[in-house]
Amino acid sequence: MGRVALRGLLAVAVITLCLFVFGPLLWLASQAFATSWTYPNLLPDGLTTRWWKVVLDDPALGAAVQNSLTFAPLTVLISALVCLPAAYAFARREFPGRRAMLIGLFATNAFPKMGLFATMASLFYALNLMQTVLGILIVHVIGTVVFMTWIPAAAFASVPRSLEEAARDAGAKPLRVFFTVTLPLALPGIAVAAIMSFLASFDEAQGTYLVGAPDYMTMPTQMYSLILNYPPQVAAVFSIMLSVPSVLLLLLVRKHVMGGHLAEGFQIR
Amino acid sequence: MTTQAARATDGLRITGLVKRFGDRTVVDDLDLTVHPGELVSLLGPSGCGKTTTLRMVAGFLAADGGSIEIEGKDVVGLPPERRPSAMVFQNYALWPHMTVFKNVAYPLRLRRLPKHEVTDRVEHVLGLVNLLHHRDSRPATISGGEQQRAALARALVQEPQLLLLDEPLSNLDAKLRVKVREDIRELQQRLGITTVLVTHDQDEALSMSDRIAVMNGGRIEQVSAPDELYTDPRTEFVAGFVGQLNSLPGRLVGGRLVPEEGLLTGVRPEDVRLIPVDEPGASAAGHAPQDRLRGRVVRVVPRGAFHELVVEVEDRTLHSLAVGQSLPVGQEVYVDLARPLLFRDGRRLQER
Amino acid sequence: MALPPIVLILVFVGLPIVTALLYSLGHTGGLNSVTATIAQHQHVATSWWGTLDAYREVLTNARLQRDLALTVTVTVVSTVAVMLVAFGIALYQRLSDSRLAKALAVLAIVPMFIPVVIGSWAILLFYSGTGFVRTALAQIGVEGPVWAYTQTAIIIGSVWTSLPFAVLMISSGVQAVPDAVIEASRDAGASLARTVWSVILPMATVPVIIAATFTAIGVLGSFTVPYFTGPNAPTMLGVDINNYFSSFNQPQQSVVMAFVVFALASVIGAAYVWANFRTAAKAVR
Repeated sequence: MGRVALRGLLAVAVITLCLFVFGPLLWLASQAFATSWTYPNLLPDGLTTRWWKVVLDDPALGAAVQNSLTFAPLTVLISALVCLPAAYAFARREFPGRRAMLIGLFATNAFPKMGLFATMASLFYALNLMQTVLGILIVHVIGTVVFMTWIPAAAFASVPRSLEEAARDAGAKPLRVFFTVTLPLALPGIAVAAIMSFLASFDEAQGTYLVGAPDYMTMPTQMYSLILNYPPQVAAVFSIMLSVPSVLLLLLVRKHVMGGHLAEGFQIR
Repeated sequence: MTTQAARATDGLRITGLVKRFGDRTVVDDLDLTVHPGELVSLLGPSGCGKTTTLRMVAGFLAADGGSIEIEGKDVVGLPPERRPSAMVFQNYALWPHMTVFKNVAYPLRLRRLPKHEVTDRVEHVLGLVNLLHHRDSRPATISGGEQQRAALARALVQEPQLLLLDEPLSNLDAKLRVKVREDIRELQQRLGITTVLVTHDQDEALSMSDRIAVMNGGRIEQVSAPDELYTDPRTEFVAGFVGQLNSLPGRLVGGRLVPEEGLLTGVRPEDVRLIPVDEPGASAAGHAPQDRLRGRVVRVVPRGAFHELVVEVEDRTLHSLAVGQSLPVGQEVYVDLARPLLFRDGRRLQER
Repeated sequence: MALPPIVLILVFVGLPIVTALLYSLGHTGGLNSVTATIAQHQHVATSWWGTLDAYREVLTNARLQRDLALTVTVTVVSTVAVMLVAFGIALYQRLSDSRLAKALAVLAIVPMFIPVVIGSWAILLFYSGTGFVRTALAQIGVEGPVWAYTQTAIIIGSVWTSLPFAVLMISSGVQAVPDAVIEASRDAGASLARTVWSVILPMATVPVIIAATFTAIGVLGSFTVPYFTGPNAPTMLGVDINNYFSSFNQPQQSVVMAFVVFALASVIGAAYVWANFRTAAKAVR
């Protein structure tokens, strides 16, 4: 009896969770094909692909897609170049202020982004970074620094030193050891960091709008105006398009790769 | 001139080696010479400095003093990749993202050898360690013994002037350990590689080495051939660390213990002979009954081919080995001690 | 080697934070001069260190007080809810080998891959007057609640967006508890609930605290979720920061609110740092 009740409870919990997570997304996605929808009908009044035409024919939206798909990979690349050496240093070297720097990174991450942008604008004006690609990239990269430093640092730290020593012993110079042993073994962790950074960049809207609008609109910044200015169906179509790259990423990465590395990365040592 | 020539014949020569961690001296003015083709073990308890010494020879730790010469060439100051030594790590340190072949080929690739030569040499060495069938396996998919052999192959393929083995058998199970240590020894002798082995296991050291250096507290207590180490230990520490030892305070005089400040008598279990008091002729042998140690068997431990008997003598216990017929618990016995080792303040006195 | 990201952060985050702090205290010169010339309702420094007038104005403003209360409420409720759900999922995954358990853990991670704008908007539509919840309930003749543009929707949205990270963190912590430890507890006669409470939870404390602090800090400063799903007033401080900056043209008040949020986040962050140092101290051999 208790067992049956438990199973029932479990089933309810699972269904509720599914509905909670997927319900809004499916409801939104179905709007993209509806002519209109009258409450309280469970089904739309009719089906159409008209809204897709609206989106695909709008050059501004096309440009936004292009911008997003350019900025996100660029952000990951720059972030990796800037942060990975630091991640290695945090993992392998003991230097004064090491811990203070790790905590500092965390602290800057805790400062509300919008408050930051409020004064960052002045700095960007002073440095002539407003309305520039570089300015947008800076905004995006600073949103990824924590991921790109912490997670790879944990990944580097988890490479056993004896594996590096064995390579030295076999005759490899330090740089060679890094590229043939340390880096390949830390790669899964770095990949997780890259994915997190990609998502962060792909998701960034406020800062991009502040620095880039109206010249450089990305998919999320366009989304804001779409939601406010177009019928919901158009925004629904755009939402599906905006979700495609991320969902592809989700399918690419294995869940078991994600969890451990992420958890490792968020513990300061 | 003559010293130069003599030095050039040494496989490894360590002189006055010192290592400190903070204010703790881990390796204290250590001297050791290993002849070409010889296998010398560094044997000692954990923390005695044996691994630290090995890591300084390999170049992973900087020495705080002294010199290390491999085949006459001073290597102190050289990074590990430029030393003519190759090491087998305790946990094997095989690279998990490379196949066995790639692991073994790695040192050769670094030397930019032609491809066919790399393949030939790797396959030759894999043949030596009997691992050709796992050529394309990943380390994680082969057994511990096979990983050990792969690590050995990776060291051998470099044709090192000096082979360093850091507790190479400690991660293998007991049965495999005996086989692998014979294999390594056989290979080492066949190839004639100068080798230093670090271990805390006396069986391993005794069965594999030409000579053993027993280390304690950062110093070498004694360097001797295995037999000599057992029969002729120079310190109480060596006697106790290599083989079992019954330690008795004082000195043996005419079969009885006479207390004496700073003196200690050590007797191996096989030199403790037990004669049942009720055995005919027991009292006739040797000394008068009142001059003999007398005890009682309190425990019998079967050890396969022999028995280990624990005997209570006055207020202390002695261990004795009995081949063949054992004695029952509770048996009153006379205890005869042969070949006593006499120590004064831990140092062996050369008198019997 | 550690310098490039630190310099980057110092220049583009540290420097703005410092100028923001100066500006909030009424220093309108230097980098703040551009902002200051067009800003309205500014409090200008009267002494060498500045003035707290802007803080006084913000903290005594009745509307902002309500927003602050709402922000704290939403943060606390969302964090607790996220922790409960995430721990439940992690535990189910740990104790059950079923495919359903694994699928559930993957499912809970999906929102991480959906841009927050879309998530917020989808939630708004789902719980709106003509949304799925009310539509479904109408089929059985029940008049469902309208949660869109309410505090409830903000909480739902916050839980939705924060769940993946918490599930990942806590799952990995709970997975790390060895089977033997759990079995030993059951063997000693402890019930499942007792085992969870006195063995699994204590062994996963650090990941749980990390997950909780990151969730709380994230919700505390959030903008997108309350902006789309919440009411116009009261709203969360993240939205106020944005409104005061871009709509009301009162950047100083906006910056002051950012520091209020930052102060709250720092308190939470202290828990995170403490949890980390506790493990670090234990790890030292």
